[in-house]
Amino acid sequence: MIARLDSITYSYPRANSPALLDVTASIAEGAFVLLAGPSAGGKSTLLRVFNGLVPQFHGGTFSGMARVAGLDPARTPSRRMATIAGMVFQEPESQAIADTVEDEIAFGMEQQGVAPDAMRRRIDALLASMRVEHLRFRRLATLSGGERQRIAIASVVALEPRILLLDEPVSQLDPAGADATIETVARLHREQGITVFCAEHRLERLLPLADTVLQVNAGRVTSLMPREAAASIDASPAVARLGHRLGMVPVPLSVDEARQRLSGSGVPATLVCPLPAALPSPGDELLSLEGLSVAYGELLALRDVAFSLGEGEIVALVGPNGSGKSTLFRALAGLARPATGEIRFSGLAAPPAVPERTAFAGLVPQDPALAFYHETVRREVEATLRLRRLPRTAAAVSRWGLDGIAGQHPRDLSTGQQQRVAIAAMLAHEPRVWLLDEPTRGADPAAKAWLAARLHAHAAAGNAAIVATHDVEAAARFATRVIGLDEGRISFDLPVRAALGTGGPLPTQVARVVPGALLPEEVVAT
Amino acid sequence: MPAHAWLAWVLMVMAVALSTTNPLYLVVVLLCVLLVGLMAPRTGHAIASLRAMLVLGAGLFLLSVAIAAVNGGFGEHVLFTIPGPRVPGWLGGLQLGGPVTGEGLVAAAVRGLAIFCVLVAFAVFNGAVSPHRVLRLAPAALFHAGLVVTVGLALLPSSIEDLRRIREMRALRGGRAGLRDLPALVVPAIIGGLERAMRLAEAMEARGFAASSPPGAPARLAGLASVPLLLDAAWGWFYYEWARVLAPVAALLGVAALFAWARAAASRRHTTRLSREQVTGLDHAAIGLSLVVGITAIGSRATGWPGLGYNPFAGLQLPPFALDGALLALATAWPALRLTAVPAPGTLHPETLSSPGATPP
Repeated sequence: MIARLDSITYSYPRANSPALLDVTASIAEGAFVLLAGPSAGGKSTLLRVFNGLVPQFHGGTFSGMARVAGLDPARTPSRRMATIAGMVFQEPESQAIADTVEDEIAFGMEQQGVAPDAMRRRIDALLASMRVEHLRFRRLATLSGGERQRIAIASVVALEPRILLLDEPVSQLDPAGADATIETVARLHREQGITVFCAEHRLERLLPLADTVLQVNAGRVTSLMPREAAASIDASPAVARLGHRLGMVPVPLSVDEARQRLSGSGVPATLVCPLPAALPSPGDELLSLEGLSVAYGELLALRDVAFSLGEGEIVALVGPNGSGKSTLFRALAGLARPATGEIRFSGLAAPPAVPERTAFAGLVPQDPALAFYHETVRREVEATLRLRRLPRTAAAVSRWGLDGIAGQHPRDLSTGQQQRVAIAAMLAHEPRVWLLDEPTRGADPAAKAWLAARLHAHAAAGNAAIVATHDVEAAARFATRVIGLDEGRISFDLPVRAALGTGGPLPTQVARVVPGALLPEEVVAT
Repeated sequence: MPAHAWLAWVLMVMAVALSTTNPLYLVVVLLCVLLVGLMAPRTGHAIASLRAMLVLGAGLFLLSVAIAAVNGGFGEHVLFTIPGPRVPGWLGGLQLGGPVTGEGLVAAAVRGLAIFCVLVAFAVFNGAVSPHRVLRLAPAALFHAGLVVTVGLALLPSSIEDLRRIREMRALRGGRAGLRDLPALVVPAIIGGLERAMRLAEAMEARGFAASSPPGAPARLAGLASVPLLLDAAWGWFYYEWARVLAPVAALLGVAALFAWARAAASRRHTTRLSREQVTGLDHAAIGLSLVVGITAIGSRATGWPGLGYNPFAGLQLPPFALDGALLALATAWPALRLTAVPAPGTLHPETLSSPGATPP
């Protein structure tokens, strides 16, 4: 066994309840372990037990016995533990120390006193095995998200640890970056026999790789086999839920497996019953763009973008990182000045000032919780109404389902709750058009369901929304239409069933198995 | 150009600019620094942009002149008088209001110009050499302290970026710029900066960076003793004629104590560096020149050669402009010659090009 935990209970300093409660688990060397569970359930804390950051860095109260590679991580110096268990954190940019890729990878080895020649040999081998030799002399600031995450992994693997700890490594990445990162991890696991612990919400890419799933919820840990987990946990991939719905035992873990199983004998035929449209068909035009282009110096971030948005529409805006999604939102909100083009709100030219524009088209940018200032959730939400000189009412908080936490400090909440408060605060003035920039990033299933419900209610009231997302499975639950952006241009603009369905540019997992369906709930066995 | 040479240059500029009170020499230094700035590489690692430093320098220059005006001053050329309260003598001669003289304003402008020169030089240095490269120059005993400072400096741009984003978010919520909104901008930015610092500290800890245990008690005592010894040496040399014999002895003892501490501190933990900067013979010569010019400029206060001083209170004469002083000021342009011989690589070097998915500006 590479790691053994026995009755671990841990509380952060000044916390009211333990983050981990009586955790017992044993992991064999070379295993690929997936940590699944809701936000704030204890996944990140559990990862930190394996390299001793909990309790050595965070303090708090720790009890029980832990053994990692024969050492007690709670007492072994972090310098030693770094060579046993390397950890990659959620945001690659928050862990970078040096300026260039080579210096970043060398940092840990420099701390361990590795000779320069040996360092160079290790860097050569590592970059070659991860197929990123071409990045060696690049500045970190010039890398894409996926490249930065792979370099972050390389910088901890350079210490040749026996365990790799990954805290939501793909939650910030677009599908291409996520695929490249997961492929890198899978190769390290396969070729070097490294034991991997990976905490993640989106399991569709990772579950087929896993040997064990640790379900972490409210500090308690349950060890499950991957197929057992796929059949039972909330975050199970859509294809597994489809299999479960069709009575497949065991449930499939990948699209290919589901296809094979459905084409085989003994599996019921399927019938697609599309969910009834909860939303009215598009009404009057609320927003329109004509020939919109935005440039940052020499770089043309948006090129001749044109579309319109009607009442009742929810548009999922998709495209790789850097394709212009955030720039489009910035232009709509008045934060970026278009080089050419026109924006109209309900047929009239959009006002120039940001506060007036966002009174009609409210923007929730990425990481909106950054701007939290007030001491309670209620005051944080009401601040927007005060700034806009609107009456403050109790409904401002209850409308968003935040009554239970209205008296709490926003910064004391879990990440998922903070995201909800931030969305409520940014949109408290009830603009007719919502512009949401990647609200599904790092969100657990409960948070995505909350968001889908809010969007449905907003559209049903005759309003509209544009939601930038990389998560097509989530988009299939709320979107009526999908617009694809690529290098600043609209690459497609299709109804949701054409875009995310079979043969579309971005089919969902279910659509790749059962033609005509988008979601597991739409498929019934006959 | 290696980081050693850049460091030597910026220290030389600082020594010359702060040693002279002659505005003509300061103008020469400023022009030299601007020339170097035009030719220096801009690697994009800068903590603050050249423009920001120019604005800050100009602001400090104006502040210096404004403070001189409010303080009132001495001199025969009274320009106007600002009414002000009588300040008690126990406040050490602080003055508010009173006659504003030409001499006072010129003296303040010279001070402001010297600060301006230093800030612009640091902006050029900052754009040309990343903090990480400077860190690699630190002696082993100071490596960890230097790393903490470097990481702190590296967080500065992201904190400024946070401030920009928070201001935008306030505008998105209907807020308008105003002094009343300042706490709502600054407080979240500070909290965000602290949270980011904590995340980075945790990541560094996870990668094996941990503060090494301090050296033994004798070494710590030696380190502690070096500070008063060196201060006493400087104090004695400059302020007490009778102590000039003892000052070099105190200085030697102080340096020896410091050396003993550094050796002990460096031996506590073995770290290595992946690479070291390549320093050519030309760079060694330039570093030597910087040292000579810097020491000469500092020494000019004590020796009187070359004459770098100018006293506007002695009748507001035109400042002198002698060849030796001008050459000393002109020496601050040496990186321009070096960069003419070997130009800095352009910012669009293939290795620095960004990936398609990189964050747009």
